[in-house]
Amino acid sequence: MKRLVLAEFAEPEPLVEAARKLRESGREGLDAYSPYPIHGIDEALQLPRSKVPLVALIAGLAGATGGYVLQWWTNAIDYEINVANRPPHAWPTNIPVTFESGVLVCVLTIFFGSLFYFFGLPRTYHPVFEAEAFRSASLDKFWISAELREGEEPGDLERALRELGAGRVTHVKEED
Amino acid sequence: MNEERISLDELPRWEGSRTALMACTVAGAAGLALTAIGYLFDARRTMLSYLVAFLYFLGLTLGMLALNMAKYAARARWHIVIRRAIEAVHAPLPALAVLFIPIALAARKIYVWIDPPAGLDKEVLHNIEHKHGYLNFPGFVWRSVVYFAVWLLISELLFRHSVAQDEDGSPRWTASNRRWGSVGLPLVAIAATFAAFDWVMSLNPTWYSTLFGVYFLTGSFVAGLSLLVLILTFVRGPGVVGSLVKKPHFHNVGKLLLAFVCFWGYIAFSQYMLMYHANLPEEVPWFLVRTHGSWRPFAFLLAFGRFILPFLALLSRDLKLRPRALSVVAAWLLFMHLIDLIWLVFPSAQMRDFGMKWSPASLGLHWTLITAFVGVGGVWAACALWRLQGKYLVPVGDPYLEDSLRYVQP
Repeated sequence: MKRLVLAEFAEPEPLVEAARKLRESGREGLDAYSPYPIHGIDEALQLPRSKVPLVALIAGLAGATGGYVLQWWTNAIDYEINVANRPPHAWPTNIPVTFESGVLVCVLTIFFGSLFYFFGLPRTYHPVFEAEAFRSASLDKFWISAELREGEEPGDLERALRELGAGRVTHVKEED
Repeated sequence: MNEERISLDELPRWEGSRTALMACTVAGAAGLALTAIGYLFDARRTMLSYLVAFLYFLGLTLGMLALNMAKYAARARWHIVIRRAIEAVHAPLPALAVLFIPIALAARKIYVWIDPPAGLDKEVLHNIEHKHGYLNFPGFVWRSVVYFAVWLLISELLFRHSVAQDEDGSPRWTASNRRWGSVGLPLVAIAATFAAFDWVMSLNPTWYSTLFGVYFLTGSFVAGLSLLVLILTFVRGPGVVGSLVKKPHFHNVGKLLLAFVCFWGYIAFSQYMLMYHANLPEEVPWFLVRTHGSWRPFAFLLAFGRFILPFLALLSRDLKLRPRALSVVAAWLLFMHLIDLIWLVFPSAQMRDFGMKWSPASLGLHWTLITAFVGVGGVWAACALWRLQGKYLVPVGDPYLEDSLRYVQP
């Protein structure tokens, strides 16, 4: 059962600063919510490098290999047809489909992979939704969330966040 | 950030470098003189070497002229601090107009269609005769004059307006250049396409590719961007101008370089693959000569060296942010552009097989390749240095210069 302290900021810069200070003080389970990408928040939260490029590379190479092998096997091995007297394995003519299938598999993988793995969809519940005010995170405000440790009271952390420039501060408890 | 910002009022005019100017002039004169001697021994191959050198520096010039026009047409601001470097590359266009004269005078030596030898295949002679309406010597000359007129008009206007703006800082120069840049883009590109047809493609008068002009222009654009990277890396540092050019500017040029390396790979392969696929007897010999025998290593070098390896290297964001590393890739691409032009021009030099015939061609490279390159390059660089003398190296009068100095990656 997670317990979170949520704090709302009016501007992105104080949020980045608050995230950095909290992380440096050893706080864990930090996250930030914003209507648009904020410069420097990755560094402030020390988020690991995104895995999406690696996934894209592997998927792209797999798709390209699959596309090429399919053409090679069908045209040169399984059912040879003499087209315009080109050799059955005419590699230049295979390149466009190889490229396209590489792009296709890559794009589909990162799109659905992001949706269902990295973004965790379909996710119908998140503890931050316990706070009604959190709606402003998708409009014009910037939120930070910090996890409370086992048995820790929210008071100190809430005060610290206010001192860092937060407007509204609240705490929520994950439903069982 | 602010303490390293230099006040623009302190920016000095560039007094020029007498040593560099002299060195370029001497190298240019010596190179051209040696090439002239080479002409006495082997006129045809000397002229082909000269054509390669001429096309190389013309390509750099047109590439950066295209970039300058595109920036004006798009009303871009980030590049203003590096615009004088772009202009410096297209400023020596008048020198190239003069350097074209030997090609026109000795055209007979390399363009077989001007005076086709009777020994040629009957089919080929018929083909050349059929194209006479376009491929004839007077047409070749007046079209060349038109190409240079169009390029010079746009290039001179953009350069002179930009320099004039240094003095009075009036925004009307920017407004005028934006119009000329937008008008110039299609004009310069069409002229360059036909120039590539006339000066390179017609070396083999029976072969044609509608993509050829794009191929030449794209390759030239990549080379021009590469030279820009080298210039910016060279001036970067504690100097007054160098300190103004920041990582985001390098990153942007690097990104353009990546985009156009991809584009070159795309159109170069398309041209090859479509002809391979169609397998028409009048189209494939051009590629057969260039992918077999002595020219086979060149074809592989271009596929890997001009597309695959630079593409993989430029994918890295870190590399594009490091001027020195980016310069290594840029220098390599400049070398590859030369290889590409040699690969385009020299195999057509045999003056033996046209039409549907082909046989493996020897390299037939000539020592004048080096002298012509140094000669044309020396004169070209001297012209650039001479035109920059007494000018500011940053367009200090541009109303958007501050935007460019503040530029960070969005």
